Amino acid sequence: MNSFERILATLQNQPTDRPPFFLNASLYGARLTGASLDDHYTQAALYAEGQMAIRDVFSPDLLTSPFLVPAIGEAFGSSRRDHPRQAPNISGFAAQSAEAMLKLPLPDVDSHPRLVYLRETIRILAAKYAGEVPIIGVLVSPLDIPPLVIGLEAWLDALLFEPAVAQALLDRLTPFFVALAEAMFSDGATAVALTANLANKDIVTPDVAHTLTLPCLRTALAELPGLVIFHHGGCPLVDQLVRFKGLPNVAAYVLDAGENLGAARQALGPGPVVMGNLNGPGLSDLQPGDVQALCDRAFAQRGEDRQFILSTCGADIQIDTPPECLAAITEAVCRAGGVEA
Amino acid sequence: MDRNYSQDLLIAIERADRAGANAVIQAWAAGRDFRQVVPELLAPVLETFGKVWATGHGGVSLATGYVASKIAEDVLTRLLQEAKDSGSVLPVKGPVVLGNVEDDFHPLGRKMVAAFLRADGWDVRDLGVDVSAAEFVDTAEASGAKVIGASAMMYTTAKNVAKIRQEIDRRGLTGKLQLAVGGAVFKLRPELVADFGGDGTAASAVEASTLFETLRQRALTLDSPAGGLHP
Repeated sequence: MNSFERILATLQNQPTDRPPFFLNASLYGARLTGASLDDHYTQAALYAEGQMAIRDVFSPDLLTSPFLVPAIGEAFGSSRRDHPRQAPNISGFAAQSAEAMLKLPLPDVDSHPRLVYLRETIRILAAKYAGEVPIIGVLVSPLDIPPLVIGLEAWLDALLFEPAVAQALLDRLTPFFVALAEAMFSDGATAVALTANLANKDIVTPDVAHTLTLPCLRTALAELPGLVIFHHGGCPLVDQLVRFKGLPNVAAYVLDAGENLGAARQALGPGPVVMGNLNGPGLSDLQPGDVQALCDRAFAQRGEDRQFILSTCGADIQIDTPPECLAAITEAVCRAGGVEA
Repeated sequence: MDRNYSQDLLIAIERADRAGANAVIQAWAAGRDFRQVVPELLAPVLETFGKVWATGHGGVSLATGYVASKIAEDVLTRLLQEAKDSGSVLPVKGPVVLGNVEDDFHPLGRKMVAAFLRADGWDVRDLGVDVSAAEFVDTAEASGAKVIGASAMMYTTAKNVAKIRQEIDRRGLTGKLQLAVGGAVFKLRPELVADFGGDGTAASAVEASTLFETLRQRALTLDSPAGGLHP
């Protein structure tokens, strides 16, 4: 079975030769290529080389475009700060309020350099791995775009105290989000992965979620012409799956680190794939044996559930993570499937 | 029957109802000295709210905490205006220094802490985001602050707390200048507070004032002749 067949079988609840797995190794690719992070996060071919190296060394079943949501903020005019050991971050916002953001032009998904960079990585990887490895386009839902452009505080101000302005901004951002996702699918993405933190009850009030953000999310996802992976975005997800299950086109849910896979299945019922629950950024502090134990725990939790992808969650795997820790995940899935690593 | 203002205010805060909370405060203040609103109403209610928030089981969202900080700001704004109008001076607990550590650009939590500290009488020197270790300690030394509050959201940036620790120690201020740390990563992994050299943390932004008071007292004790830090 190749990775594409393995993931397809998982989606269809069919048996696989070994459990599929995913590493959030967007940053880690630079470690394998030796590229500077400045180049890694601006040159699509270099980034794609990193993903190819990840594939060659660790054999994950999914590869991704850059886990670089600040690039979407940059497309609206926010400034970024590069860092030698981690992914760039937003250092200055393009506007100061939701009302001001309403007046910003929407970026052109076909010509803005930062969006072209993201898309080009998908085109390169999709051409290389057509029919062999699914490629995931990484973006954020419309709800999570304003924090990249005006900051979370200004966005909360709008959601909490100026709901009409917030609604207008969500209405304006939804077509942009749909256009970017459609472009990623046309570039060869098998699915897109996104966060929806501003619909999470750990972040917003139930009123904001029910009246503003969840309806927007449903509308936006319904317009996508392909599959969606719903990422926990740093918040616990299991006890909120009842609210999020059944979202249009969502084929998989990525849980937070350590969240119970069996409980997730119980909440979701049959159908969607459950992904998790290894702490990606925390792998750097572990020994390979510890990682093996975490993988074994995850497999024990999933039981007979075939619709499961062992995955790192949280943010990127850190660049100083020993490769032996990532190899331990590869070895764990091979051992679980009774195949050679 | 007397109105239970504390209960009403707590309910409004838990509902993230800023206007409702301000209405409760307004009603409480009728016929009372508004300068007593913090010690007699707001602080006790926020203490209760903070305990619920800290457990993580009370359904308190980030937005709810944010609204609570805006309510504290609203009270402070009125207190400052009344002090200005009457020519009086509000009591100040002392200076403290706040900032996001180097390379951290997530200001919301820090701003909420600043709002709660200011409402509780602290003179907050807020340095903003991406603050170097030297700038933290320079500002503390210049202002006479006994406590630095350093915020970091992610593990990668939280490591820069250790630089502040090193700078404090390098200048011979160990113990005399206390280092409070906060941010999502410390809530998820409390062991990092000690690992990176922090002297303490709070489970929620509301509880920062209590932490800062504890640390300030510790600094004063350690800086006294009996504290053992003087040669």
